[in-house]
Amino acid sequence: MAEMIKKNAKDLDSNFRYEISEKIGAKSLLKCIQCGVCSSGCTVTEYVDMQPHRVVASCLLGLKEEVLSSQAIWTCSLCHRCTERCPKNVDYSFILALLRNLAVKEGKIPKEYSGTVVTIYNNGFVVPYTGGLKDNIDRRRKRMGLPEILPPNLDEIKYIIEETGLGDLAKQKEGDK
Amino acid sequence: MEYAFFLGCTIPLKLPHLEKAFRDVASILDVKLKEMDGVSCCPEPVSLQSLNIDTWMALGARNLAIAEKMGLDILTICSGCYETLKTVSVLLEEDEKYLEKINAILKKINYKYTGKTKVYHFVEIFSQPEWLNKIKELTIKPLDDLNLAVHYGCHLIRPSKIMQFDHPEKPEKIDIILEALGAKTVDFATKLECCGFCARLQEEIGENLVEEKMTELCDLEEEVDALIAVCPACTTQYDRKEKIIARKTGKQLDIPVLYLAEIMAVALGVELEDLSLKQRSVKPNKLIEKLTT
Repeated sequence: MAEMIKKNAKDLDSNFRYEISEKIGAKSLLKCIQCGVCSSGCTVTEYVDMQPHRVVASCLLGLKEEVLSSQAIWTCSLCHRCTERCPKNVDYSFILALLRNLAVKEGKIPKEYSGTVVTIYNNGFVVPYTGGLKDNIDRRRKRMGLPEILPPNLDEIKYIIEETGLGDLAKQKEGDK
Repeated sequence: MEYAFFLGCTIPLKLPHLEKAFRDVASILDVKLKEMDGVSCCPEPVSLQSLNIDTWMALGARNLAIAEKMGLDILTICSGCYETLKTVSVLLEEDEKYLEKINAILKKINYKYTGKTKVYHFVEIFSQPEWLNKIKELTIKPLDDLNLAVHYGCHLIRPSKIMQFDHPEKPEKIDIILEALGAKTVDFATKLECCGFCARLQEEIGENLVEEKMTELCDLEEEVDALIAVCPACTTQYDRKEKIIARKTGKQLDIPVLYLAEIMAVALGVELEDLSLKQRSVKPNKLIEKLTT
């Protein structure tokens, strides 16, 4: 359970709620009535430092730093029960993805999450598919009588990743995540 | 029926035996699969969406645009791919401005997504009444003796306003496919619990969730022959974690985990030696014995 946070009103980021709610799919943030249904059905509710309804309340209050530094936003298993059950249609699981995006912009990325884009940037797939690994995979598929893998167009994939702002993260070395 | 076949990454590259089973089923049921040239990872809904929603959307929209060029709807065999592609297609359909933004990115590489591609998980197709009838007709080896537990997984059914797949708290589409094959499916309290695969920060979350579900299945009055899943992540999560839990706690859970297409292939007459049912941590030896006697 989160410790009590004491903060002066002038230190709150009153714009934080709008920074989130203006994004696609996140307008619903402003409708939360703090009923707690999200937290009661949450798969990881007993593992987080801030339960879902408290994350939402903290966003609305402007506790930006606390939210973006919380372990709660990364612990979610993405089961979507919160979004499914919310009586006010707050799309918490999608809002959580936005909060993660904002944390990433501040360089706060757990290593469990940063590697994927490196692998996709270099392989087009989320599974390494180059060199010896590729040969093994191709051999195994051939043995099973499966068609050859059609290679993804890497130039196009790299372009999209760079154009949307993940280029620097994606250019890290594989294994150096 | 012809579909643009979206293979994804995990199944073709890591678990090709699941792809093999699905292709066998599709061929028996006469579903035509057109390979998709140049597609990438869907991209994976958990970490890529977390890192940058625009990247996730644009890569997803590029895959959808490839299907659109082919003039076909997409068929997926993985719940992760299904979630990404369906969510991207629904959100872009709802938000014209965002679609414009994504298309501005795609334009430089000569793609345009107009929002026509529909995305299906194979469960969605095969659970329709006409397909159930076809499955019943073509079942050569009915699964009469089998008692199966279904794991739907989260990404297939929720959030229902986007997935529009089945009842979000009481789904039945996988159960009715198994029933069409002659099997019995069991009711159990943790049926809709998450497998925990996507809770990456803490290993114990997944382990506890797997232990809870598998313990319940072991304690049921009627013996459960297998847990049936439709997503490569759920399938491997239960299979591998069962062994890890056994090492840590001494609990022998040992319920084999099969991918739906594998058990469908068995019932539709694919020879057991052509499937790789033993290619998993918990070997389905008892199940194979039942299927061969």
